[in-house]
Amino acid sequence: MTTDAHTADQPYLTAKGFCITSGLWLVVATFMGLLGATELIAPDLTENIGWLVFGRIRPIHVNLVLFGFVTPGLLGAAFYYFPRLLRTRIYSDKLGVVTVLLWNLTLVAAVVSLAAGHTQGREYAEMIWPIDMLVVAVFVLVFINLIMTVRQRREPVLYVSVWYVCAAVVLTGATFSLGNVIWQPTSGALVGIPDAILLWFYGHNVFGLLLTPLAAGVAYYVIPRACQSPLYSHTLSLLGFWSLIVVYTHIGTHHLLQVPVPTWLKVISIVDSVAMVIPVMAFLINIWYTARGRLGAIHADIGAKFVFTGTIMYFFVSIQGSMMALPQVQRVTHFNNWVVAHAHVGVLGFAGMIALGGLYYVLPRIAGKPLYSRFLADFQYWMVLIGVVGFTSVLTIAGLVQGHAWLNGETVYRVIPQIHVYYVYRAALGLMIFISAVLGLYNILRTLYFNPGEAR
Amino acid sequence: MKMTPMAVVVGSLMLLAAIVFMVVYMPWATRVEEPSEILRPRSDVEARGRALYIANGCVYCHSQSIRTIDWGLGAERIAQAGDYILDQPILLGSARTGPDLSQEGGEHPDDWHIAHFTNPRYTRTLSIMPAVAYLGQQNLEDLTAYVQGLGLKQADRRMQRQRFWKQEAIRAYEAGPVANVEWLHATVPEGWRNLPNPYPTSEAGLARGHKLYQDFCLGCHGPVGDGMGPAQPYLYPPPLNFTILKDRGISGGILYYQIMNGITGTAMPYFKKELESEKIWDVGNYVAVYFINQSDANTEPRGIDAANEP
Repeated sequence: MTTDAHTADQPYLTAKGFCITSGLWLVVATFMGLLGATELIAPDLTENIGWLVFGRIRPIHVNLVLFGFVTPGLLGAAFYYFPRLLRTRIYSDKLGVVTVLLWNLTLVAAVVSLAAGHTQGREYAEMIWPIDMLVVAVFVLVFINLIMTVRQRREPVLYVSVWYVCAAVVLTGATFSLGNVIWQPTSGALVGIPDAILLWFYGHNVFGLLLTPLAAGVAYYVIPRACQSPLYSHTLSLLGFWSLIVVYTHIGTHHLLQVPVPTWLKVISIVDSVAMVIPVMAFLINIWYTARGRLGAIHADIGAKFVFTGTIMYFFVSIQGSMMALPQVQRVTHFNNWVVAHAHVGVLGFAGMIALGGLYYVLPRIAGKPLYSRFLADFQYWMVLIGVVGFTSVLTIAGLVQGHAWLNGETVYRVIPQIHVYYVYRAALGLMIFISAVLGLYNILRTLYFNPGEAR
Repeated sequence: MKMTPMAVVVGSLMLLAAIVFMVVYMPWATRVEEPSEILRPRSDVEARGRALYIANGCVYCHSQSIRTIDWGLGAERIAQAGDYILDQPILLGSARTGPDLSQEGGEHPDDWHIAHFTNPRYTRTLSIMPAVAYLGQQNLEDLTAYVQGLGLKQADRRMQRQRFWKQEAIRAYEAGPVANVEWLHATVPEGWRNLPNPYPTSEAGLARGHKLYQDFCLGCHGPVGDGMGPAQPYLYPPPLNFTILKDRGISGGILYYQIMNGITGTAMPYFKKELESEKIWDVGNYVAVYFINQSDANTEPRGIDAANEP
């Protein structure tokens, strides 16, 4: 991980483009989340405005968070550290900029089509076929750019971050195509129970084969750099990488434990969900031992602070996820807000935090100037941290209220007023996250453009 | 292990292929193809309604998947793989922000659904579902047809029952208030008709009844019990005006029975799954005291006073 003349004067246009994309869509995505949360408190707020109905806002929120905020943010960092780790230039910034523009076009098309009610109705696979094609196209373009950069490298050894990003892009290209059933353009679906099995295989791999490896790649880059200490263990890197691919891909059916799917498949998904502690702890021990005794350095760098917090969230969300796959636990937690809380720890607390950390780590280095405002970045850090912890607390409570009331024989309608107050808290916490996203976008733009700081 | 680009890309793709074979292809190759006893194809209008259900994201809040543990929720039938073999995509859902709809067909008559879709709070005052009147009348009817088909053959049986009793209810309603009340009372089994409300009227009981009335009844019967709630324009026969019940043989038992069991064919749902015994007596007495102005609470025969009575 050294820099030399070959990498020193790059414009990092692709990285820049992905960073701005991420910051921009974070604002839109959190607004959609806030709007949806508000509709659950005041359902007639947007009465009879079809394209703002909750059932259309929700998939827009989810898809924008996954593909508009987190993925581009993590790729922004990757397009910065790939040339540096490989001691070369990025293969083609021209191709990279085209990719970024196409990515944004895809997101706009996704928002417009979902708002208009064009959806395939399958969670995480809602987008209609033409947009699926655009998504596959951008993944192919990203892969070409990255793999060609790898091929022209001057550093013989591939660092673990490079493995993770290459695998994430190629595997997601494959699972996305499979999960969206792209050979069935009209329905985008299989028939009956196998459709659910495929959907959750793909759906869970959005986290397992896209967000997690991309986030791990950023953590593996930022933490050793910020701590200025070598990575703790190459063996753990290997174990974490291969076990992630093997174990994570088996667990999708834990979404279907209460559905008539084959029992052997349920058993596989439960066993592997518990076995997730292997890739999770291999990664975390590696990162945490690298940072051992150097938390001061992490605290000093806002990017590293975001990333390190993200790794702690990863610990919690993964242990929780393993427990939620146990049928006895799931009797209480399934179908209610517990799961929504879990999803937010994973996507915002873990992958989102690390995406923001990657952004704030690479932006000053791309700009060649300090971050426009460390205060704003710190403010965003605390808003997101308080937001996601608070969110998780209130939604977990709401989920427990729902789950236990249902098991006690109460109807869904009877429990709605009981959880109203938690919905109010959730929207308030969402407002904090949204405001900090707006300030974050301002900070990103001011760091890159009109930055009054001195060049270093 | 030396990690080359080839090892990373090809190695991970090979692993993925093996795992997809195991956890995606194998379940598909061994899938259930036997239809369950309730399966039937959906009609064209139901298919159109299903497309609307998908387009408006109903699936995010409503599951269509009854679990074994849902027997505790009052479910009558557990989902089987053979129920879904015509569904593309399958709409199991992942949350119950609203109730499960697997067996929703025939629970209510069509007009109840139109009122509910126009604004869910017209029929269910605490609902947090969005209004979907923006779809327009034709689409609301298609969506209703789809929902009325949920449960397939079981739903068809319930719909037949709804249609039969709707004719009876309309005939009674159109014969005038006296005949209507007589018919309503006659549909209640004899034993219930002569049963007074066994609990004395109390301030606390009326307060409980008031709250329950707001949460469950107000949308149709209106805040003053005259049957002019916001759902009224959509429903036929219209919601009952309680004031006409006075001096026409009403009893606590009749109120209890009708609230518990509902009046199939009309928009009056059953509440036996949502309200326990005391709550039904309380809301019945609230209606009797405030709207009918004639309560038989705590009159003979009343048996031994309950231990909690003041």
